[in-house]
Amino acid sequence: MTSNAYTHKITTSKMRGRMLIIMLGIFTVGFGLLIYRLFYLQVINGEEYQRMALQQQTRSITLGANRGSIYDTNGNILAQSATVWNVCVSPAQLDMESFDTAAAALAEILDVEKSFILEQAADRGSYYKRIKRRIERELMDRVDEYIIQNKVPGVFFEEDTRRYYKYGSLASTLLGFTNADNQGAYGLEARYESILAGTPGVEVSAKNARGQEMSRMFSQRYEARDGNSIVLTIDESIQHFLERHLHTAVVEHNIKARASGIVMDVKTGAVIAMATKPDFDPNDPYTLSPADQSILDEGFEPGTEEYQKKRTELWYGQWRNKAISDPYEPGSVFKIVTAAAAVDSRKVSLNDHFYCSGVVDVSGVEIHCWRRTGHGQQDFTTGMQNSCNPVFIALGQRMGGPALFNYMQNFGLHSRTGIDLPGEANSIYMPLNLLSKEGMVELSSTSFGQSTKLTPIQMITAASAAVNGGKLMQPYLLKQVLDPAGNVLSTTQPVMRRQVISEEASSTVRGLVEAVVADGSGRHSAIPGFRIGGKTGTSQKLDQEGDEHILSFVGFVPMEDPQYAVLVMLDEPYLPGETAYGSTIAAPVVGAIITDMLHYAGYEPQFTEQQLAEREVSVPDLMGEKPHEAQAKLTSLSLQTRIIGMGGTVIRQIPLSQSVMPKGGTVFLYTDEEDLRDDIIVPVLVGLSAMEANRLLTDSGLNVKLEGTILDGVPMVVTEQWPLPGTQAGTGDIVVITLQQAD
Amino acid sequence: MTYAQGQQEGRKRIRLGLFNFKEGGMDLTFLILVFLLLTIGLVMLFSASYADAFVRRGGDSFYFISRQLIFAVIGIVAMLAISTFNYKVLERFAYLILAITVFLLIVVVLYGFVVGGGRSRRWIDLGFITFQPSEIAKFALVILFARMINANYDQMHTFRRGIFPFLMAMGLLAGLMMLQPHLSGTLIILSIGAIMMVIGGANLKWFGLAAIAGAVLLGLVVMIPGVISYATVRIEYWQHPELDPRGHGFQILQSLYAIGSGGLMGTGIGMSRQKYLYLPEPQNDYIFSIVAEELGFVGASLILLLFALLVWRGFVIAMRCRDRFGSLVAVGLTTQVGIQTLLNIMVVTNTIPSTGISLPFFSYGGTALCMLLAQMGVVLSISRQTTMEKA
Repeated sequence: MTSNAYTHKITTSKMRGRMLIIMLGIFTVGFGLLIYRLFYLQVINGEEYQRMALQQQTRSITLGANRGSIYDTNGNILAQSATVWNVCVSPAQLDMESFDTAAAALAEILDVEKSFILEQAADRGSYYKRIKRRIERELMDRVDEYIIQNKVPGVFFEEDTRRYYKYGSLASTLLGFTNADNQGAYGLEARYESILAGTPGVEVSAKNARGQEMSRMFSQRYEARDGNSIVLTIDESIQHFLERHLHTAVVEHNIKARASGIVMDVKTGAVIAMATKPDFDPNDPYTLSPADQSILDEGFEPGTEEYQKKRTELWYGQWRNKAISDPYEPGSVFKIVTAAAAVDSRKVSLNDHFYCSGVVDVSGVEIHCWRRTGHGQQDFTTGMQNSCNPVFIALGQRMGGPALFNYMQNFGLHSRTGIDLPGEANSIYMPLNLLSKEGMVELSSTSFGQSTKLTPIQMITAASAAVNGGKLMQPYLLKQVLDPAGNVLSTTQPVMRRQVISEEASSTVRGLVEAVVADGSGRHSAIPGFRIGGKTGTSQKLDQEGDEHILSFVGFVPMEDPQYAVLVMLDEPYLPGETAYGSTIAAPVVGAIITDMLHYAGYEPQFTEQQLAEREVSVPDLMGEKPHEAQAKLTSLSLQTRIIGMGGTVIRQIPLSQSVMPKGGTVFLYTDEEDLRDDIIVPVLVGLSAMEANRLLTDSGLNVKLEGTILDGVPMVVTEQWPLPGTQAGTGDIVVITLQQAD
Repeated sequence: MTYAQGQQEGRKRIRLGLFNFKEGGMDLTFLILVFLLLTIGLVMLFSASYADAFVRRGGDSFYFISRQLIFAVIGIVAMLAISTFNYKVLERFAYLILAITVFLLIVVVLYGFVVGGGRSRRWIDLGFITFQPSEIAKFALVILFARMINANYDQMHTFRRGIFPFLMAMGLLAGLMMLQPHLSGTLIILSIGAIMMVIGGANLKWFGLAAIAGAVLLGLVVMIPGVISYATVRIEYWQHPELDPRGHGFQILQSLYAIGSGGLMGTGIGMSRQKYLYLPEPQNDYIFSIVAEELGFVGASLILLLFALLVWRGFVIAMRCRDRFGSLVAVGLTTQVGIQTLLNIMVVTNTIPSTGISLPFFSYGGTALCMLLAQMGVVLSISRQTTMEKA
């Protein structure tokens, strides 16, 4: 080609036109579309992609908040959280070839299946797999030592917390427990979750695709706020007494449907103790009692649906707080309510006379007294002491259905008490239209405590109102809320819901219930030297086939100015004889609880002159008896009783039978071998007051015998003692002290 | 050799055949656009690559940027030098360049090496330098087509002169590239070739027929057993990468996370999080995802606008160039940059299924950057010939 050939080859306008079309048609449109596409991805859908990106880029570490503690009223810790560790692996960082040996070692230390560890480690894309939860320091140190010594990569620890219940099963149905995620699952733990839990913190940090921290600038930290603590109205010691005696009752009377009890501060409605036995250990709430476990193992094939169902049923059975969740037939205990209503509405006076022939005809229906032969002539107080049904039928008829219904409502028996526990049940009662019916059969049966089912908490709250001056209090358990530093954030003030009966009527009721214990059906709960009131209850389970009974008793102490109400309810005891009533079975249990409580609370017995006149008694033979029945016998001899051990029969008594001891002295009844001691050191008593010496000896498990003349109202001091201080003595041995008037 | 055309227009010219200085100089707008894109590209390459380089190149955060900078300097020198050359010598060497290209394409299939996890042999290692013959093939095609169109311009509307020889040439290059195989390179070759043919005056009906033939061929391919399921799977993962977030969909999902995270204003330069080992090889084909994450919609759009302006300016240079060969070379080289940019960003935004195309001025690759800058030098050299309005 010549150079001329090029010179003629010029760009034509047709070419330029097509260039323009290409430029506009392909590139302008192309770039335009891409800008739109970017707009779509970044502006319209940007947040969505950003969210997904952040999900993979960020790692949030939960900073655990410490769960608050639960204290009893005196500051004893009932539930507390402590740091434990989870063992985790980061499969992406594991060296799979060498990990097999490590997995075997870890499986052995941690007591988990090796196959489980390998399964967790197999997810190679993951950086976090838990292989064991909540191990304690010691175990963690062993794992740590192993991984350091053998240079195992990719195994790490994660901090966690665990709940510890220091006293094991104590107050378990009340406290509840926490679940695997450390949240309250049951009982007070669940009820006060929002107070106890605190707010977990979180640290969000950016990580690169290998899970390493990217840079500080992407990190943000929100501190955890620890949970507050709660102080309960529960007194750990009294709770302990209640549970011990309920346990003994369950053992000695072979109780089938559990026993329940409540101790309430009569004046404030504060619950001092509440228990259901048998219960469970909140440290390990999923372990069944041996009896329940054998029911499960013998009747069901593991792994089947029935097995799971039964196991769940048994779990809920042992967790259930009967004191608030199970309405029961209060029987004659309800007569406190009928009496209070009749006295308040002035339908009865203490001078009124009643006649009981053993049967009453109500609109053509024969209603029997519990004593078929009848009680004959009696005044109102005697009728109460006898728990005579015809007397209360008469009271009900004098008041009429609507009035009784109204009193029941005012006593809070038609609604939940509102106690601060989850799972409270309501009562079952005769509706107004039936109670007001002409026939009055329903009214009559309601009057002496049938046809109504109440929860124990409803019963004790109403009974407390009847004796405390007529004030229905709101029962409660939360005394105070404390911040993590221990400062009081709030204190519960007792709430009076209403004045149900007058102060005057309440005073009359106090006299009636004291008469019941002093010389009536409640005498088996009497404690020498103390004024106690109470009412027994024996009822048949009407809505259930068979001949099952519920025995109950409500006691009040001290009657000079009632402070405590104690209710015990025994559901389905084994009753071999006709003599089994609330009076004979439940009353001694309450008596035993009150004995321990009064001793603990520092009340001293006051003996009447008559009791003092006949100073010494001979101790009966109690070997082989049921502890609470033996106690009833001692009580009738004006002797005090200390039941020691958890067994169902007395295996040793101190002093021995035929021993002569002063009235008001304590007989120790042993039900377990291991509680017997013969290495008690006799304390120094000279110089102490009579009261102090008595207390010190009883606390050591020794008995006291006084020498010298006791003058009423004159302070006395110990001048001599035998055996001498420092001598070894056995449980129940008698220490003789000589008293003289103090200077 | 004299350049009568230049003399006819009264321009001063140094009578030295190989060089081409003129009074008005080269197109400064185009030069500035090239420098702007190159500068932004280098900054973004550093930002996108340092985290990956630190981890994968033994703690050397500067691994990629230092190498790219060296080539950029060489490339700039080459570009400026070439802009002073007389591009017309290329017309004479068109077949020689083609022959060298064909030789290299055969060599690469036989002796080339594989980069990354792919199966394609695309690279030639000369010991001190590695390069892809495909890059040279694109340039060769532009020069060849410019020469062929220039020579046969009067008969471009015929099939015999205007279509057939071009098909043969494209077929030869594309066929050799498919042996590697190199689908995206082939696609670019075909696009550039077609656009140059259209501008060169080829009868548009043949393109219609080609489209129909392509459709029929596609239909026949689909009938081959197994193809449908293979294609459906690929299309499925293209449209729903979230179905296999750790496998097929991984890279594109990570790209979309990055782009989406940018939002309107971006996370700020250097502040990408996706570059921390999430997005694989953020310095290569997917660099624009990190650009979009750090600079946001506003910044990413501005960069697209710069590319668009570069294409526009390239076309303006072509239109202004009275010399048909020069005009065609300018169109071809500009189209190459434009098409490659469009396809790259379509891939990273998941507008089309993924295929390996690098982003001009941004993606890591020393020889490719040198080639690109050299080609920009050719366009600049052509711009010295633009005479229309400037006269």
